Amino acid sequence: MLGKLIYENLQKYGFPYPIDKHICSSWAKDIPKQSSTILYTSCMYQTASLSEIYSKFIPYAEKLSAFSFLGKYIKPKKEELDRAYKILNRIVQLLKRNGIEFGYLYEEEPYSGAILLELGFLDEFSAYAKSVYKFFKEKGIKRIITVDPHTHNALTRYQEFIDKMDIEVVNYLELIKDAKAISDITFVVHDSCLYSRFLNLRDKYREIIEKSGIKTIEDELVTGNDTAFCCGSPIKPINPELSDKIAKARVQQLTKLSNNILVVCPMCYANLSKHHENIKDLTEVIE
Amino acid sequence: MNQEWDIAIQRTINNNVPRVSKILKEHQYILELAKKLREAKLKILSNLEEYIEQTLESVKRTGGNAYFVKDPSEARELVGKIVGKGKIVVFGKSMVAYELGIRKYLAQLGNEVWETDLGEFLIQLADEPPSHIIAPAIHMTKERVAKLLKEKLGFDVSENSTHEELVQKVREFLRNKFLSANVGITGANAVAADVGSIVLVENEGNIRMSTVVPPVHIAIVGVEKIVPTLEDALNEALVQAAYAGLYPPTYINVTSGPSSTGDIEMKRVSPAHGPKEFHLILVDNGRIKASKDEILREALLCIRCGRCHLHCPVYRVLDGMWGDAPYTGPMGAMWSYIIYGDGKPATYCTHSGNCKEVCPMKINIPKVLEYIKYLENKKQS
Repeated sequence: MLGKLIYENLQKYGFPYPIDKHICSSWAKDIPKQSSTILYTSCMYQTASLSEIYSKFIPYAEKLSAFSFLGKYIKPKKEELDRAYKILNRIVQLLKRNGIEFGYLYEEEPYSGAILLELGFLDEFSAYAKSVYKFFKEKGIKRIITVDPHTHNALTRYQEFIDKMDIEVVNYLELIKDAKAISDITFVVHDSCLYSRFLNLRDKYREIIEKSGIKTIEDELVTGNDTAFCCGSPIKPINPELSDKIAKARVQQLTKLSNNILVVCPMCYANLSKHHENIKDLTEVIE
Repeated sequence: MNQEWDIAIQRTINNNVPRVSKILKEHQYILELAKKLREAKLKILSNLEEYIEQTLESVKRTGGNAYFVKDPSEARELVGKIVGKGKIVVFGKSMVAYELGIRKYLAQLGNEVWETDLGEFLIQLADEPPSHIIAPAIHMTKERVAKLLKEKLGFDVSENSTHEELVQKVREFLRNKFLSANVGITGANAVAADVGSIVLVENEGNIRMSTVVPPVHIAIVGVEKIVPTLEDALNEALVQAAYAGLYPPTYINVTSGPSSTGDIEMKRVSPAHGPKEFHLILVDNGRIKASKDEILREALLCIRCGRCHLHCPVYRVLDGMWGDAPYTGPMGAMWSYIIYGDGKPATYCTHSGNCKEVCPMKINIPKVLEYIKYLENKKQS
């Protein structure tokens, strides 16, 4: 059973599939390890490009019993990793410029459990969330700053499974009050489904975009709050073909408005990038 | 993607989505009615069996016949007994009748059966499953419709025929069927528990004809369509029409038992000009079980406006074939589980969340689908 396998991998590797944890933490320098407030990446930006590869192994996962051998060989491409690291460092700079202090757990940083939640393995998610929460409490963490929608969603839903959860979860987009555009390129925004329709953060990042001076092209049937398509990423582990069809259709819709696509989620970037080159994360176009 | 589907669905979205937004902006009382309707329906769903009893009694008081059936075979047997053989039967569009396989069963018994809703009529001619809950032939372009009418019925139409010309040809063909029909079969948008009336909202006039012209009218309705009062039932018709994008609706039909008159000495007698028999068949087929589950119960609030379909990326890229007919799209992924026990459609949900944003009943569809995934995962472990 897939849920059980992912859960076991989380125990063994601290991630849904085997991975060299250096990949997750090597981006960070000069961030204190001890702090009651932490920046929490859940290794999402760093590994987004691997989801494509691992989703292909899922149909055979149970036969292979574990992916342990894969972790040694499968790594993100250097340019993808460099880009992810650059994005995370820009988030650090943006937060610091806005006066926010925080630490980072480096290789001790656990995964959020988002994939269990999104695939409907709620019992496994509940057990895993409890263990992660316990770890955070033992570390004296009181406030977590998330940097992607899937992690933010998973953490905000911990409270459904944990009695009296008393760790504050905030997204970096809520903390940036001041940022400006670094070029005059006009974009079409591909909204994050979770930020927009589950986490009430659509206005936050759209406000940052608007205030920064970035110009965007809108069309009610393409970028409206109730019409904007998903990138297809969440369905990838279940049906990669369907995921790809959605990504392709989404790129077709967006590029009718602009050749420059702006995203706020590493998974959206990874899935849409298969069909289009000019995609930027918000943090790559503001400072 | 299938090219014909892509053209057809894009035209549909362009025609429908902005129109629904405009309707809701211009008639804001609809939002209040929808809120009130959700409360009324939740009241029923928390005590469904008692309201089923009340509804059956209320229909009998109006001089109608009322039945409760548990599953498709009971439903088919009952409808078969009422209709008999060698009759002409007109269907005024009922997705529950499709769910139960009524049309094909009556044809097997030796009846001449005709769907009269234009979309359903096209589906019947093509012998294809419906692709949308209220616009079942949404996957066909105008050009395909012309080809189908020419091939199956020999109509003098071409790919250059206008929408109006195609509709006119079907009108000519079906008019005679209405007038010669022995039985009319419909669904219902809502059933009022207090007085036993059914309410049907439509635009074509086919439902009005099917419920009034033939001497026998059978309404086949899922038990979740029961609402406490006739006021709630009329509200449901208004809300459904607005969210479906055709507002005001051309017709709202109320049927309370067989036709009657009190014009001679004010003595009420039945029948008069309309049907002499009215039969209401309330269908369970998994609905009562779902009503007892706090999360699945939400799915039963669906009023079949079909709005969620047009906002869903999965429905769009799967060429309208997401879910088990007639239940497609986001609502269909929930209903495929409730009716057919099929949890696979739920696993395809990408939780884009557009469906919950546009649902008039505020059903958190991704949440229900997450729960179905969970139940399926548990079953497999």
